[in-house]
Amino acid sequence: MPDPTPDGLHLDQSMPTTPDAVDLAHEQLARLWAADGDVLPADRVRFELAVIEILGNIVEHAWIADEGSPSERRLTLALTLTDERLEAVLGDNGRPASIDLSSATMPGADAESGRGLALSLAAVDSLDYERVDGRNLWRIRCDRAPA
Amino acid sequence: MIEIDVFRRPDGVAVVVPQGRLNMVAARQMKDLLAILLEEGSSRIVVDLDRTTFLDSSGLGALIGGLKGARQAGGDLRIARPTPEVLTVFQLTNMDKVLRPRDDVESAFDA
Repeated sequence: MPDPTPDGLHLDQSMPTTPDAVDLAHEQLARLWAADGDVLPADRVRFELAVIEILGNIVEHAWIADEGSPSERRLTLALTLTDERLEAVLGDNGRPASIDLSSATMPGADAESGRGLALSLAAVDSLDYERVDGRNLWRIRCDRAPA
Repeated sequence: MIEIDVFRRPDGVAVVVPQGRLNMVAARQMKDLLAILLEEGSSRIVVDLDRTTFLDSSGLGALIGGLKGARQAGGDLRIARPTPEVLTVFQLTNMDKVLRPRDDVESAFDA
């Protein structure tokens, strides 16, 4: 169960650095929704989308295959739910993400990839990336619609 | 986890029913399945999303890839019955106008 604190519900999880992380993240989110049934479906959907997209991006791009020891790879997902907002912080010790969130745009209708970041930005109220002490930190915030 | 059912109607249309989350793990499976259908000559495909509880950009990419392949083969891929979760992704990516979701599977190839 999530830990209730004066600041809301918290869930911290160390994640695998493989695509399996995606299913584990869905499970963590389900725990959050189970703990507070008042989160509106529309808010759940857009928050879950951004978390899964960013997580997928990390798993696919943060580490170069065959480089370094897989056992040294670290990926964490911290979820917070308060009355006002949903927050996620994804942290990984992979290589710096070479992205510019301010220029992430939706590709043409024919494109089969390249929508993840633009979709995440469109889904939530804020998405930030920073490199801190050799780690990538992705922060996602979704303001809850009034019930 | 996802389970993808496929059946063929008497009129030759292949109906694909992904059940569960169409995320980066499942997208590969979906992409391969659509490629096999096209190889086998099924270029008229309906993807019934009534039981798809989550779609991400890689799942969307698999659908777009299938759509392109079907059209190149002289057919089409039609989307039917998207859940609110799936429709949100179509709208956020402006793909709702391209994929033009249908209200039901039976009539997805009418008009």
